[in-house]
Parts: sequence; C-alpha cells; structure tokens
Amino acid sequence: MSVPVLLVQDVSQQFGSDVHALQDVSLEVCQGETLILIGESGSGKTTLLRLLNGLQHPTSGEVRIHGEAIRSHDPIALRRRIGYVQQDAGLLPHWTVEDNIGLVPFLLGWTPQRRASRVDVLLQLMNLDPQRFRTRYPVELSGGQRQRVAFARALAADPEIILLDEPFGALDAMTRHELQRHFLDLKQRLNQTMVMVTHDIDEALRLGDRIAVLKDGCLLQIGRPSDLIQTPAHDDVARLLHYRSDGHRP
Amino acid sequence: MTRPWLHRGHTGRHLARGVIVALPGLALLLALAGPVFAQGHRLVVGSKNFLENKLLAEMFAQLIEARTDLDVERRLGLAGTQVCFEALRTGAIDLYPEYTGTGLVSILRSPPTSDARTALITVRSAFLHRWDLWWLNPLGFENSYAIAVTRSRTGTPPLRTISDLATRSASMTAGFGYEFVERPDGLPGLEAQYGLTFQRVQAMQQSLKYQAAAAGEIDVLDVYTTDGRLAVYDFTVLEDDRHFFPPYEAAGLIRGATLRQHPELGAILGLLTNAFDAKTMRQLNYRLQEGGESIETVARDALSSLQLFRTDDTTPAPAPDREQIMSYLWSSRATLLHRTAEHLALAGLALGLGILVAVPLGLLLERRRSVAEPVILGIGLTQTIPSIALLAFMIPVFGIGALPAVIALWVYSLFPIVRNTYSGLRDAAPQAVESARALGMTEWQILYWVRLPLAAPVIMAGIRTAAVITVGTATLAAFIGAGGLGVPIVAGLQMANATVILSGALPSAALALVIDGSLGRVEAWVRPRGIQRGPA
Repeated sequence: MSVPVLLVQDVSQQFGSDVHALQDVSLEVCQGETLILIGESGSGKTTLLRLLNGLQHPTSGEVRIHGEAIRSHDPIALRRRIGYVQQDAGLLPHWTVEDNIGLVPFLLGWTPQRRASRVDVLLQLMNLDPQRFRTRYPVELSGGQRQRVAFARALAADPEIILLDEPFGALDAMTRHELQRHFLDLKQRLNQTMVMVTHDIDEALRLGDRIAVLKDGCLLQIGRPSDLIQTPAHDDVARLLHYRSDGHRP
Repeated sequence: MTRPWLHRGHTGRHLARGVIVALPGLALLLALAGPVFAQGHRLVVGSKNFLENKLLAEMFAQLIEARTDLDVERRLGLAGTQVCFEALRTGAIDLYPEYTGTGLVSILRSPPTSDARTALITVRSAFLHRWDLWWLNPLGFENSYAIAVTRSRTGTPPLRTISDLATRSASMTAGFGYEFVERPDGLPGLEAQYGLTFQRVQAMQQSLKYQAAAAGEIDVLDVYTTDGRLAVYDFTVLEDDRHFFPPYEAAGLIRGATLRQHPELGAILGLLTNAFDAKTMRQLNYRLQEGGESIETVARDALSSLQLFRTDDTTPAPAPDREQIMSYLWSSRATLLHRTAEHLALAGLALGLGILVAVPLGLLLERRRSVAEPVILGIGLTQTIPSIALLAFMIPVFGIGALPAVIALWVYSLFPIVRNTYSGLRDAAPQAVESARALGMTEWQILYWVRLPLAAPVIMAGIRTAAVITVGTATLAAFIGAGGLGVPIVAGLQMANATVILSGALPSAALALVIDGSLGRVEAWVRPRGIQRGPA
C-alpha cells in the first residue's frame, strides 16, 4: 500500500431527521489507484463522492486529503485541485472544446499560451485531433466525444485526484467499451488517483484497482476485484457479483 | 495559438455589450425627453379630454398670453373630471374650465339642484373653504344634458317638452350614453320625474348616437346642449319643463395661490364673463367636431370676434377628414415626429429605468430563491391594474405630465424583465452549472461566466416584451398630459375622425413593430454561439 491520498473516517451523512445517506463509512484512497464506488441507486455512492471535493460536508466524521481535513480547506481552491467528470459531461454549452478543457487552468490564471499548449496535449491524449476539435462547441460533438472532452477537462490542471460520477453511464454499449479501454490505457500511463462511481459491476471489475460496495449508506466490503470474487463478505456482495456478465466462467 | 481566449459568446460581457450599445440610445431619449420635463415657473392651463373643454382652456391660454408676460403651458385633454380636479388641487395645473353641476355632483357629491344660482354659490363657497380654489364668473352658457327627438318622429302636434314626450314614449326607441343610463341624475331620475317609459333603451357610445338617430335606428337620444352637431342634425331639443336636469354652467376654476401670485388674472379672465351663449358655443363646437378646424384657430377667432385682441392673419388648418391618410400624415409630419419623439422618450425612459431595476432584482432573487416567488407574484399583480386606473393613481402623488406617465410605464415594464431574468438564470443549464461548481468556480464566477450568458437571450426576451408593453401603453399617457402619439388618438376619438386617430395609431403600431423586430435581432445576437434556438 502506498501513501493514502484521501482518508474517509467514520463518515455519516444525514438529510433531515430520518434519511441516513451514509452510516459510519471509513475507507482510504491510495496514490495512483482507482477506487470504484458501486451500489444501487440510493446506496449513498454519489453522496460519498460529493463529500470528497467538499460539495457537501458530512454530518459527522471527517474527510482528509493528504492528512488535512477537507473542512479546513478553502473549498474553491480545493476543487481546483480535484478533477471532476459527470455522467452527461456537463460541458459549458457556450464555450468551445478548447475553452472547456482550459476551464480550471483559466481559473488558476495560466497564461493563454500555456493553456493552449496544454489543451493540444490533452486532445491528443484523448485521441481527438486538435485542429478539428479545438474550436467546436459541445453541441457539435457526439456523446463519446463530449465525455472525452470532459475527461480532458478534469485532467487539465494536473489534479491530485479525479472524481468520476458514472462517466460512461449515458453512452451506447460500443462507445462505452471503447472509452473504457481508452481509460484503462490512460490509467496505466498517467498513474492518476481516481474515484469512480458506477452501478455496473462489469465496469467496476474491469477498471477498478479496488472496489467499495455500498448499500443503504453502509460500506459492505472494500477490496481488490479478486478478493471480492473469492471471498465476498456479504450476501449482497455475492448477489452483485452474480450479475456480472462472465459470472459463471472461471 | 494567438486566438484571444475571451472571444465572442464566451462571457457575460456579451450581454454587457448589448447594454453598452443601448446606452447611447437611452441618452438620446433623455435628450429628447428634456423639454418634456422642463418645469419653469409658469402658468399651467389644463382641460378635460373633450373638445369644448379644450377650446375654453385654449381661449384662457391665448387671452393670458395676449394680456400678460406669463409663459402659458397647456395641459389639454386630461382624462376626465377626477384627473383634472386632482391636478388642480395638487398644483400640477393652475386653471381649467369646469361646470358648476359637475363640481356639485361629481366633486362635492352633493345632491343636484335645479337652480343655476344656488349651484354656483354652493360650489364657490365649498371649493374656497376646502381647497382654496376659486370659481370665476360663468362664461354665459350651460352644457347640460337635454333630450332630443328626431324631427321625423315629433309627430302632430309636434313634441315640445319632455312632458309631451312622456305621452308617446312607450312606442319609441331611445339611444342613451352609458353614463347617462347609469347616473341617478340621468335616465333613472328622468324616468321617475316624468313617468317616461320607452319601448327599448339602447346604451351606446356617445358619437354613434347621432348616426344611429339619423339612420332612424333610434328616435330619442340624450344630447349636450352645446353639442355642435345639434346645429346640423335635424333634431328637436325638448324643453325640460319640470327642471329635472341640473344646471351645468361653464366657468374657470383657478387656484387661490395662483390668483394671489398673479392678481391680474382675475381681471383678464373676467373679460370672458357671459361672453358665450349656447348657440355661439354650438357653432364653435361644430367647427371643431365636424369642420375639423384646429382648437387654436377656433379659439383665436372666438376671442377676436369679442375684440379681446387684434386679429392676426391666420390660415385655418386643413380639415383632416377631407384628406387621404397618407397626405395627412405627410402634412402633419413635423407634429407627428415631435409626438413620436415624446412617445419614444416616455417609453424609452420607462424601459431604461425598468431594466436598471428589474435585471439586478432578478439577479438578487436568483441568490435568494426563498423570497423570489412571492416577490415576483407581487410585481406581477401590478400588471393587473388597468392602465388608466394606474395613471389616475399617480396623479395625487406625482401630479400630471411626463413624470407620472414614466413611473406608470416603468411599473408595467418590471414584471416581464424580473420574471425572465430570474427564471433564465435559475434554469440555465443545470448540469453545466453543477460541473462548473465542482471544478472550482465561485458562485459569482458561475453567475458571470455561465448563468448570465446562458440566460441572456431569455432576459432579452423579457426586455423585448416590456418594450412592446411600454410603447403600447404610452399612448394612454396623453390622458394625463404627457404627450406622445396618444394625443392624436385621443383627439381623433373625440372628433370621430378616423384620419386623426390613424395618424397616431399607425405610427405607434409601426413603432411597436420596429422595436419588437430590432430587439428580436438583439435577442438573437446575445444568444451565445453553441446554443441552439429553442430547447437545446
């Protein structure tokens, strides 16, 4: 195990008096690993993700980044250090691809030259031809291209962590597969720390270094894919694994 | 890679650019509005919005101009007794022609009296004590209600009095004005006094009654004793033998403060005591109503014939109804251009102030969403106030003229702009806003870089709606003496002259279309690139 980048300690999140979105969840995210948060709708996985960049603060417990409590950070500065990709890309519709990718560098006050060259590097990394795509608007892109741009945007200012909220959820099967392959390739090249939310067990097993299974706000199990498959700690984990597409193959 | 980062469509600057372009326009409007707002120490003569009253006021004005050094400002055509009286009481005007019966019944709310002298003494005493307003000596004629019968229906022996009419009215059809049918000192009282019953009573618009009577549609109608049309239509005016109709003697009504400041006015206006009988007034009114002559000309002729000043060589204004609309528009282009400028100044100022208040208010409400709906609902209620009523409410507070008109128009402009600004900002691309926040934009940056540019077309659409509303409603500003294209419309309605009505209505309609069209262009122009028309 390498150095923990994120530390989630005994976190509970309550909405109103009787909605317990998270209950006593503890986990850590290590440098360079991809942690998958998986669970059904309402399991608390998206709530947990939102705690990691200070979009929400837990009712009790603490989230730490490099050992420091997130609560004590300026939330704006913190979020600029953390990349974010959401299901439908969330690109600014009135900004070009170049402007969208350069968003965080722009907020950080990079010079236009530095931003422009960074955008070109990232577009190439995403297999998008800078000449063709730089000046396009989101509406002129396919769903897969939009998601690539969103991923480039998240990477733009060399963040310490990238948070992904079902990034491939809205894509057709073929595009999803292609993007997942690309994601794996990048993951190995970039050594980037990432936390991804999904409800697709195949995706979790394929992309995750470790997987955290959530249900009704509780963490059922956290471990490597092989750990989960070999020794599921809970009936619900076993049931989840049962639905994987290669579930009955060795 | 030298393309500037901040390009068109990228920022809230785009909206700012629209505002910057609009500012010189607003400045121009302000410059045009200057004369409208100039308030010197001068004498203001007002009048109600019908021809005879305007004529009397114009005579007051011309006489004062001829005999003193005072600058006389005319506020002719104010909307009715209430507006005129409030304007006088609050000092927005100094003087206007009123009728004793109106003072007694409509203003004092006293029971009518059949004696002219009693009426005059009652109003004189009450007005002086309550408001320091002075009734000058009567001008010599009454403008009362009277009942007329078409000559072909007078029969044998010919009807002479209303008592005669009562014996035969059961077989007759009557056409009466809406007001006459309702007022206790109108039809209900008349029926009770004389025991009148008609076969049918038709409530109708004042100027249509004459045509209906001439066409044989109605036999009996209510008329005003000085109506110019009585000089030409073949009607018998019946004698009020039981003295039912209260006397409505015309006289100047003036502020005591004005008289103390300019005592000579009493003597000068006194020259008009008993100057006109009903027949003379009918002829003068006829020249205005049917002859289409200008009020200035008729007033000048009337004063000249009384030897109140030297006769100037005046060429009578052309009668508009003998002209084609296009040639009339052309021949009165200078006036119309001035009216259009006034109109634009009123509407533009109101809209400019509306934008200055409503857009920031919309921004604020987007930050304070819990109070947004109640506040917007409250502003929306202003839209339900009828425009004439709103203009009338303004008079006790702001007097008459451009100021209350601009304020009333401003009130109307607020709602569409606030509503669109708020909902445009609130509903702007929620996913984009969410990701912008997650990537570390501050709320102000989100507002400036994301919400505002995305909401710009919606905000602009609200401004466009407000612009059309204010340009349309500004025609009503004429009722409180604010000028604009409503002036020819109101004048034309009184003269039943379609050409004159159109000379105001056509330019104001054209103005609304042009403004709507050009703001539509602005709306398309502030729409950021990358945003499709319609739902994205």
